[in-house]
Amino acid sequence: MRQSPQQHRLERRRNLSSWLLSLPTMIWLTAFFLIPYFIVVIYSFLSPDIYDVKFEVSLDAYRQIFSGEYLRSFLLSFRLAFYTTLLCILLGFPVAYFIARAGEKLRNTLLIFIIIPFWTNLIIRIFSWRIFLAYNGVLNDTLMRMGLISSPLEIMRTDLAVILVMVYVYLPYMILPLYSTLEKLDFTLLQAAMDLGANEVKAFFRITLPLAVEGIFAGTLLVFIPALGAYLIPQLVGNQRSLYIGQVITYKIKNIPRNWPMASALSLILLLLVAIMLLIMFYLFKRQRRRKWQL
Amino acid sequence: MENIRLENLSKDFGGFTAVNRVNLEIKSGELFSFLGPSGCGKTTLLRMIAGFEIPSEGNIYLGNTEITELPPYKREVNTIFQNYSLFPHMTLFDNVAFGLRIKKRPKDEIRERVREMLTLVKMEDQALKYPDQISGGQKQRIAIARALINKPRVLLLDEPLAALDLKLRQHMLIELMNIHDAVGITFIYVTHDQSEAMSISDSMAVMNHGEIVQSGPPDDIYERPASIFSAYFIGETNLVTGEVTAVHEDYIELCCPDGTGKCFEIDSSFHIAPAPGRQITLSLRPEKIAISRSKPRAADDINMLKGVIEDILYLGTHTQYIVRVGKLKFRVFSQHKRVYFDDKALDWEESVWLFWHDTDSWLIEEIPSDDLYGEESGDGSRPAMQRYVKRGKA
Repeated sequence: MRQSPQQHRLERRRNLSSWLLSLPTMIWLTAFFLIPYFIVVIYSFLSPDIYDVKFEVSLDAYRQIFSGEYLRSFLLSFRLAFYTTLLCILLGFPVAYFIARAGEKLRNTLLIFIIIPFWTNLIIRIFSWRIFLAYNGVLNDTLMRMGLISSPLEIMRTDLAVILVMVYVYLPYMILPLYSTLEKLDFTLLQAAMDLGANEVKAFFRITLPLAVEGIFAGTLLVFIPALGAYLIPQLVGNQRSLYIGQVITYKIKNIPRNWPMASALSLILLLLVAIMLLIMFYLFKRQRRRKWQL
Repeated sequence: MENIRLENLSKDFGGFTAVNRVNLEIKSGELFSFLGPSGCGKTTLLRMIAGFEIPSEGNIYLGNTEITELPPYKREVNTIFQNYSLFPHMTLFDNVAFGLRIKKRPKDEIRERVREMLTLVKMEDQALKYPDQISGGQKQRIAIARALINKPRVLLLDEPLAALDLKLRQHMLIELMNIHDAVGITFIYVTHDQSEAMSISDSMAVMNHGEIVQSGPPDDIYERPASIFSAYFIGETNLVTGEVTAVHEDYIELCCPDGTGKCFEIDSSFHIAPAPGRQITLSLRPEKIAISRSKPRAADDINMLKGVIEDILYLGTHTQYIVRVGKLKFRVFSQHKRVYFDDKALDWEESVWLFWHDTDSWLIEEIPSDDLYGEESGDGSRPAMQRYVKRGKA
């Protein structure tokens, strides 16, 4: 359909105003996100100096990474992110489901309980886990008193401790998106499935789970990506024998002599890996959404 | 042969009795309706047959097998849900194939049977669409195909047309009857819409307050209501209370007070034989009453009343007159056929004659309770028609 001149003008004005409104955000993102990232890219191709960089082009950082020097840290981080996400889904799903099916009053109370931990500073919460898990901490003390163990368990400063605390910190980020999808789920669909011959288990796997994929996907984004770059929790409850990639990157900048190019290159590789992961997940997600059985 | 038998079936929801000691047999291959106002327990009854509710008391039999506590997925019964409940993440094909896939039937069989079902409901060319891409009426068809593919012995339909608009509803009603004829299994249909139930059912049960008030073929319930509730809920009627003054061989005489202290005489055929002196209610359908400006020729079997037109409602197919006789008000339907008596249309405040054959009325042994007349009778008049409010305490 042809537009009249007035309509055309109106449309142009509308476009202009939406441009103007998004301008502050654009400037902000350009100044504090796009340009810094560009600097990171440039730094990754420079040579290290004791405190700063030498402006000499070098591919040393990438060469070192691709020789597999940090492979162990990458793998550790991926393993951590994988287990954290998986445990968050397994633990979070029943909770989200229960909240979604609860009465309105109970539902709001339960949601507040999920959010309450955010009211306490993260570092304080991690330190309380340290006290809880320590060699002569609350957990070991209790278990010993109960006579369940004869000598204290060494959980603190292990990868297990890291996973435990990670799951604790990230669980709400999984529960909330899962809850919001499950809350929208029409539970008569489950009755329909059972009416058509599916028992509870089959109804869950063929109806509830596929319809909750959106929530699982959103939760995974919120948990997996931060978990991949985790620094704080491995630093506070992990050990120095198994360094996660977040720790490696931090050390490259913190410890003297500094190695800015290496830190930049590692960050970029991590970013690339996350992007690839996301693409794979988007693909799987889309296939799940509009899945066609073979006719 | 009976197909479904309900034996003393009750359901309590924490003190509230939704279904109260229902006994019923539904014949095989019948299209049976449960009809009643919302909250009368008809849906609960259906959900108990489907297996979504476990009865507090009583038994349900499918053929000779007791299925009272069997889970839904083990019953040879399928349900059409009110909002159809199609699976949004599956194509229409996959929706229909669901039951067979759960039973792990071979792929060839599934393909063939789904095609067959989609053809039955005339949706064969839309198999690859998703539920959000089709209309309400089409969703309804898919829901039927999805249920029937499992070859259930009984198909339960929970207000299946409630979400459709009027034209589509009429169309789907005929479609449903055709499908019922084609598959030949028992359909149990739940609705609050009496015209739906009347037009579709071989047999029906009128429910109120968790109990079956009356069951039988639709014309039987309409023509011969057993209670005030049946008479009121199905169609419209005039209820006139009177005292039996004389019982003759083929009719009885009633004296009906008109609210002004006077009493007019009505003759009626009878199926119950009340003794003279008893109070009784006469149900007189508005379409059975003729209305005329001039006095009709007197005859032994014709009742005649003189009244004044108080209201006229033009309804297209017919006109509804509200005629005051004493302090009683009668509702009369008259179709627009100007072939006899007076040609000129009747007007407000005109004096008219109401007359009907004495076999066109029906006696009910109940007396309408006071709340039957509602608040509309604030002027002291006793209208013979009001919306039914509550079941009379018999």
